[in-house]
Amino acid sequence: MKLLIVEDEPGLRDSIRDYFTEAGNVCETVADYTSALQKINLYRYDCIILDITLPNGNGLDILRALKQNRYPDAVLIISARNALDDRLKGLDLGADDYLSKPFHLSELRARVTAIVRRRSFDGNHIVVFNELQLDLQSKTVSVNGQQVKFTKREYELLLYFMANKGKVITKNAIAEHLWGDSIDAANNFDFIYSHIKNIRKKLVEAGCADYIHAAYGMGYKFAN
Amino acid sequence: MKLFARYYRVNLATTIVVMLLTGIVYYWAISLILRGQGDKDLVVEEQEIFEYVRINHHLPQVFESKDQQITFTKVNGPVKREFTTANYYNAKEKEDEQGRGLVSSVMVNGINYKILVVQSSVETDDLIRIIFCITIAVILLLLLVLFIANRLILGRIWQPFYGILHQVKAFNVTEKAAIVPQPTDIDEFNELNDAITSMADRVKSDYAELKTFTENASHELLTPIAIINSKLDTLVQTENFNERQSTLLNDLYTSVSRLTRLNQSMLLLARIENQVISGHEAVNLKWLLEEKVAQLQELYADKEIKVTVFAEEKEVQASRYLVEILVNNLLVNAIKHNVPQGQIDIRLTADKLVIKNTGEDRDMSGQDIFKRFSKSAGSEGTGLGLTISTQICGNYGWKLEYAYRAPFHYFTVKL
Repeated sequence: MKLLIVEDEPGLRDSIRDYFTEAGNVCETVADYTSALQKINLYRYDCIILDITLPNGNGLDILRALKQNRYPDAVLIISARNALDDRLKGLDLGADDYLSKPFHLSELRARVTAIVRRRSFDGNHIVVFNELQLDLQSKTVSVNGQQVKFTKREYELLLYFMANKGKVITKNAIAEHLWGDSIDAANNFDFIYSHIKNIRKKLVEAGCADYIHAAYGMGYKFAN
Repeated sequence: MKLFARYYRVNLATTIVVMLLTGIVYYWAISLILRGQGDKDLVVEEQEIFEYVRINHHLPQVFESKDQQITFTKVNGPVKREFTTANYYNAKEKEDEQGRGLVSSVMVNGINYKILVVQSSVETDDLIRIIFCITIAVILLLLLVLFIANRLILGRIWQPFYGILHQVKAFNVTEKAAIVPQPTDIDEFNELNDAITSMADRVKSDYAELKTFTENASHELLTPIAIINSKLDTLVQTENFNERQSTLLNDLYTSVSRLTRLNQSMLLLARIENQVISGHEAVNLKWLLEEKVAQLQELYADKEIKVTVFAEEKEVQASRYLVEILVNNLLVNAIKHNVPQGQIDIRLTADKLVIKNTGEDRDMSGQDIFKRFSKSAGSEGTGLGLTISTQICGNYGWKLEYAYRAPFHYFTVKL
């Protein structure tokens, strides 16, 4: 996957780049409006992670330029402006998704992966990891071709893990991904543990290897 | 006490005192003059007697005059000349009347006689009384007219003042409506108009500035928080933490996520107060409620809370985004402040949404639970949830109320 990160804050830009950089991914970064405009006129990306407030310009104008030139690049807007209007404007202009700052890198990654998958030309809606298969259309999970019954939440959680293969995902990130602001209602994240226990049990019982590992009491990691 | 009443009371008291004093002086003066007049008549009569005696050397025949009676009495010693009060016998009426007398003496042929001239003072008294009554009547009439005139004029004059007062009472810094100066040609009220409108404008602009500041500050904070968050996410990928380090990291995560939520709540509040969140669509509250309850299922199931929903079809015209926040806040509160194996009953009818939940056995209606940053001890929430909810309700003319009837806490949104 080839990504362009348009973000003026070096701290955030580097973190995103580091998180996405791995075998098979190419990450390019730019810090301002003009260089972003140059990049999009020269190269095509699978996804552009676009900040709205940029030095010497507005990210939405880059989005407009993309759409005017009919460039097919997917766009995910990240913005500190937690405004509904901005979100709607961005999506109206043809952005694929919107994520307001601050966010967890795992959330960003899940969103980007989802966009890229949706956009892939081969129309592939099956995510495969060894013997494990997720069907994005019917939202089902199967192990060695055998369907395993998953609840909606369990499916969402597993998909989240698979988008963040090899990364430690914290309990905070999981909770916020699944319940958003409502997570305030929970006094602790213990119930996440029982969710994950269920997923592991179901997968192992279906003959799948146990890919979900607890990571130092902070979170979990989906890996070989 | 009303200014009117105070003014009237003082005015009335002074008027009555002054009028009474005037009345007394008036009475005293008139009676003094009339008495002087009467005494002069008596002296004239006395002189006539002296004159008669001097010429005729015997006492005059006593005859009944219209209002004077004269009696002569033989006396041995000298008589002191003086004015006295005496009884006057009215022959016509056959009764004694109050009168004024002059005691004098005359020497006729070597014999000393005491003279008593009495004149009835009834008519004089009547005259005084009539004058006094007319005076009092005029005074009372004057008071009455003044009272009515004052009432009418003052009532009208104070009108602009009440107009302003009414607006000041209804004044709310968070609302856009400004105070409208009351048209008046009275200088004091014009001054009041100017002072209050300019004060209200100043308060509003200060408040707007403060809100803008809050919004900007929260906004500026988002970027550093985003960096901290992403750096933490990056840090946990470096692996190989010992238990102590991972505890520290967990604490960091928790605090950053609290900071994030707090900051977002502040931003949201500022934006709702500024009414910059637009959107007016038909929102089906019943569906929204059921959807939210389903979404929160794991959260309340974890505490083994029993949730029942009774909802009638109900649609409201509002921003879906805000209504979702409102419903979410109320439900999250009901879960968060609940007890294990507790209960939540949600009831939606045409005119209200009631969410009642078990919880800590304590009535909180005396506390400012709707105030910013008011939260229960040990709560990790932002303390802004109910403030945001109230503000959202306010935007749509709804009312959010709290009541406690053991063992339930009731939150009611009057739609």
